[in-house]
Amino acid sequence: MASLKVGENKEINTDLIQKACSLAVKAHSKSSQKSYILEKTGGSSYVIFSFPGYWSENDWYDGEPFGETKINLDLFPSLRSIGIDEHAKVNKAFQQRFVDKISRNQDFIKEVEKAKNERKQIVFTGHSTGGSIAILATIWFLEKYWRSDASATSPLCLTFGCPLTGNHIFSHALRREKWAPYFIHFVMRYDIVPRILLAPISSIKQEFQPILQFLNPKSSRASTNTPPEALNFYMNVMKNASSVASHAACKLMGNTNLLLETMANFTALSPYKPFGTFVFCTGNRKLVILSNPDAVLQLLFYSSQLDNEAECPDVAQRSLQQHFSYGNELKDCFTKLDADHAVLLESLEKLPLSADSTTTSSDITTINAALKDLGLSTRARLCLCAAGELEKRKIGNKNSIDLKKADTAMKYLQEYQLSCKHQGLGCYDAFKIHKSDKDFEANVNRLELAGIWDEIIEMLKNYDLPDAFEGEKEWIDLGTKYRHLVEPLDIANYYRHLKNNDTEGYTKKGRPKRYRFTQRWLEHAQRLPAGSCGESCFWADVEELRIKTSSKEGYAPFKDEVLQLEEQAMKWINDGVLDKDVLMENSTFMVWWKKQPDPLASCINDIEGFTITSA
Amino acid sequence: MSQFHLFSSGLELANLVVSSGVLYHSWAAVRDLYSEINQNEQQSLSVRYKVSQQPNSTTIAFFTWPACSKDYIIQGGGGEDLVSSSTLKESFPLFEFLCTKTNPQFSINKAALELFASIRDSLPSLKSQIDNSKVLIITGNSLGESVATLFTLWLLESIDFSITKCPLCITFGSPLIGDNGLQNAILKYPTWNSCFLHVVSDQDPIPRVLISPHNPPATESASQTNVYKPFGTFLLYSESGCGCFKDSQTILELLMATYSKGLGNQNPNQVLELYIKIVEFLNRKVICGDATGLLQWTTPPLRTGIIIQLVAIGLMRPQPQGQNNGLDNLITKIEKQEMELVMSKGLGFNPSKTLNEIKINMAFFEWYKKCFKEKGIGYYDSFKNGSSQTDIEVVKFKTILTHYWEGEVDEAEKKPQKEGAPFRTGWLGAGTNFRRMIEPLDIAEYYNKGLKDYINQGRPKHYKQLEQWLKETEKPASNLSQLKKQNVASSLTEDSCFWAHVEEARISCKLLSSKESSTGEKELSKHNLIHEFENYVLSLMKNHEVSPEIFLPQSSFMLWWKEYEEIIRKGIMGASYYSPLTDLMKNRSYQNYATGDLEIP
Repeated sequence: MASLKVGENKEINTDLIQKACSLAVKAHSKSSQKSYILEKTGGSSYVIFSFPGYWSENDWYDGEPFGETKINLDLFPSLRSIGIDEHAKVNKAFQQRFVDKISRNQDFIKEVEKAKNERKQIVFTGHSTGGSIAILATIWFLEKYWRSDASATSPLCLTFGCPLTGNHIFSHALRREKWAPYFIHFVMRYDIVPRILLAPISSIKQEFQPILQFLNPKSSRASTNTPPEALNFYMNVMKNASSVASHAACKLMGNTNLLLETMANFTALSPYKPFGTFVFCTGNRKLVILSNPDAVLQLLFYSSQLDNEAECPDVAQRSLQQHFSYGNELKDCFTKLDADHAVLLESLEKLPLSADSTTTSSDITTINAALKDLGLSTRARLCLCAAGELEKRKIGNKNSIDLKKADTAMKYLQEYQLSCKHQGLGCYDAFKIHKSDKDFEANVNRLELAGIWDEIIEMLKNYDLPDAFEGEKEWIDLGTKYRHLVEPLDIANYYRHLKNNDTEGYTKKGRPKRYRFTQRWLEHAQRLPAGSCGESCFWADVEELRIKTSSKEGYAPFKDEVLQLEEQAMKWINDGVLDKDVLMENSTFMVWWKKQPDPLASCINDIEGFTITSA
Repeated sequence: MSQFHLFSSGLELANLVVSSGVLYHSWAAVRDLYSEINQNEQQSLSVRYKVSQQPNSTTIAFFTWPACSKDYIIQGGGGEDLVSSSTLKESFPLFEFLCTKTNPQFSINKAALELFASIRDSLPSLKSQIDNSKVLIITGNSLGESVATLFTLWLLESIDFSITKCPLCITFGSPLIGDNGLQNAILKYPTWNSCFLHVVSDQDPIPRVLISPHNPPATESASQTNVYKPFGTFLLYSESGCGCFKDSQTILELLMATYSKGLGNQNPNQVLELYIKIVEFLNRKVICGDATGLLQWTTPPLRTGIIIQLVAIGLMRPQPQGQNNGLDNLITKIEKQEMELVMSKGLGFNPSKTLNEIKINMAFFEWYKKCFKEKGIGYYDSFKNGSSQTDIEVVKFKTILTHYWEGEVDEAEKKPQKEGAPFRTGWLGAGTNFRRMIEPLDIAEYYNKGLKDYINQGRPKHYKQLEQWLKETEKPASNLSQLKKQNVASSLTEDSCFWAHVEEARISCKLLSSKESSTGEKELSKHNLIHEFENYVLSLMKNHEVSPEIFLPQSSFMLWWKEYEEIIRKGIMGASYYSPLTDLMKNRSYQNYATGDLEIP
């Protein structure tokens, strides 16, 4: 059985690909009632779900110039940027279609669960817009079953000539969750469909209807001739694709000219961005495979660029015809599949920039031949190279984080916490009073750490770290440890300097991003609701309640809040996420708490090993 | 850093400019204007303009008629003459805002300025047609573009970039317009510089005529520094494509090197035709691949990027094996400039990192302050007396911190609000903390020198600015004064000039008790003490805005009180002088201030 190598340690059976491809096309032609078709194949080790496409203008662009909307986080909770807390965007019509026809379809859910329980490899597939539904179905499966059941077989998503579906956060989130490798997209060199959403509807409005008419396999076309609008359609889509690619390339290359920002005001740029592995079919039985999303975006433009103006009408026709040639092209490719015919582009930063023939290295000759088949000029190669370089640079940024320095500071603060306890006062209160040399040293260490973490946050905000960063256990643990140990000191510092006087309460206005981010990492990793891991803000809650209950109104109006705080404190202490030193006799918390009416009735007394000393 | 490859993105930027359609759009506006005025030819040179509104954008086009030739600029009445900003100050002060302390003067091409001045009366009405919610394109033909450039410059003063999008001034074959003074004024604000895009064809002589040394200044007064310099981004065009350049030295060199003398000095209308062709050609070509041939495949990306740009602007043919037509020097030069740009951008990469380092210095400082307090003297007076070893340490930290904040304030000032850089609260908070902590030490040094009137005569600029910015962002007072009262012991005095007031009060005391002072001096001193200083201190205490450290036994404030008490005792202030503050000091109830137990009516 032949297989296609699409990445390191990842091969896909070519029969399965061909089977999926024919099913994806078949899904269109079935009676229009069916929202998916199901096929069990491969000696029943596979189950293939394939989804039909849709061909009205509203099935592509619904509302916005590019038809995008916020992702539905109930269905796809992972599709966001964690620390920044920004939702991914997705094509509105595709998402709506998925919600209406698939995610509420009980038959579909039953079939999926059955296949999962039988430990079958589930394959979601689709051609054209059907591919987008397949993508959403795959993510839905990953969110619903895969995250909670590690023993489940990983799903596979195969799309053919599928339009772009989500934005850069969509792509970022899938890479963070390490789900991107489950998606394999096949794209013919000139197929216009994967590029359409790079153009706003306003720029193609005139031509879009007849083009969709042509693309719709269900419609009764008068002839196989491409419509006369093909030329303008191709040029308009490509012009927009060119804007997107150039804008992205400037960013990849570390452009220093602010004119770029000014230009962004004058041109509407598509928000969509690729993700997963792309297999580009050159049209002469060769496949070029790559998975760097920035590089794929560049290739989407450059591979269907013209060599010269004269070939424009011809290419415009091919840009429509190739949308229907996946089956044949793949069949041709797979009949003779060897290293020369499927080229995996991995270290993009080392790509040969010119088709110079002087090299004798066979690797480079092969790559050069493949790039040439995609029509890539030196300029295009530079863009791919910059995409590879950026990836490398992000890893470099991560490695440049001074962990050694952070570790030394953390160790000091751990000792500080212990020594405070020995002297009968929790480190929060000791730090707040700030009386000894040790408190001062602790402050310096706190600031050292703040410097390191603020730098990390700044890089995350600019997406200057690898996409996987916020999902890496090592960093989540480190962040949590840091937050538990040091945030109380920040709170102490905040109330010591009365910053709440100038601004507002710590949790509202004063809380640094380095704690907000790290808390969200943990909540996401453990799939807890937002805001549930606020134990490191305990002291701020205490301080705020202390202020409230000391006001004229007194305790009564804040009774519920006080009770809630007590309950949470108990839970956090019992869970071991809040240090017991909050219960020390002279702590701000205990001194305040004992002043409240009826402390003996409080649940704090139920904490194991807690004995109240008379006030 | 060095293990990473660098890139040059000029080609991609040029491609974005073309594919975005702004060139096409703005040229269409010029063409419309041109077709309107074509009938009544051969008038004297005058400026026409037209505002056109589209759903998302406004375009203002300027046109001078008749279209002018190369000869006009050189010979037609001293076209290369410059007018200095100091001359303009009285007659035409519209660009005065470009002058700063560090860059006090600039000069603008006289002909362009005269044309612009001719529409002076129409400026307000033109401006009123600009809709801030739309993007703005300003454009024109050759000398009309000089007007467009000046119009854009004039607009920059009043644009608030935090709410308005940057306008874009697109010129087609515009001659250079100003000297290095003008260049510096614009380059100082990167946002301003990014508003200008100049399209130049390799065949057009006009953008090149004012470049020295080919056209050295005619007048003797014009020195070597007084020559035309470019600013903004240049999009250079040839039949092979186009590329964007920003570095002004590179631009000057490339402008000269790429000139193909295609048009010579013929009918100026040809220039119009030329740019029509160019815009249409580029518009079509944007989806075509470039024809770069063979390069040596080991050439690093930055150099490769520069070479293909030079190919695009027609300076060289694609050559195999690194034969670069003797342009190696030029390529290397551009390479170096690009590298410097990227590096300088890389350095400013993370401002929060340095801020955190500065905060560590502040933590040290805070610690010293605490030590002095325990000695019963307060850090202001300890520093003033300069008695201990620690004070020398303090000087070290003070120097580092002052240096940092002077620089920060300078930088922030360079980007006035116009440039749209709202300060981050954290940054201003740290600055305020710095001011309250360190300024007392500057005051101590000042009065130690025997000088007077620190606030008006000695206060460094960075303190004034930091205070001003805080005032601008301040919200209405919150109602947490109860807590503030309890915690007054640990807070800093809010008015960082407090000690300057104390010193002035002591000087007043000295004058009052001295026999040599005149009656006038004494009356003034009395007034200062009673009406200003007493009320000042009392209101600070009332609002808990002053640190209780001022009541430490050896503090200057307490010394003042001793002197003042003596004056009152002698009856200089009048018989049985009484005031709320003196009462409070006499009965020692100020001791309750630190614990928040003092009530001031």
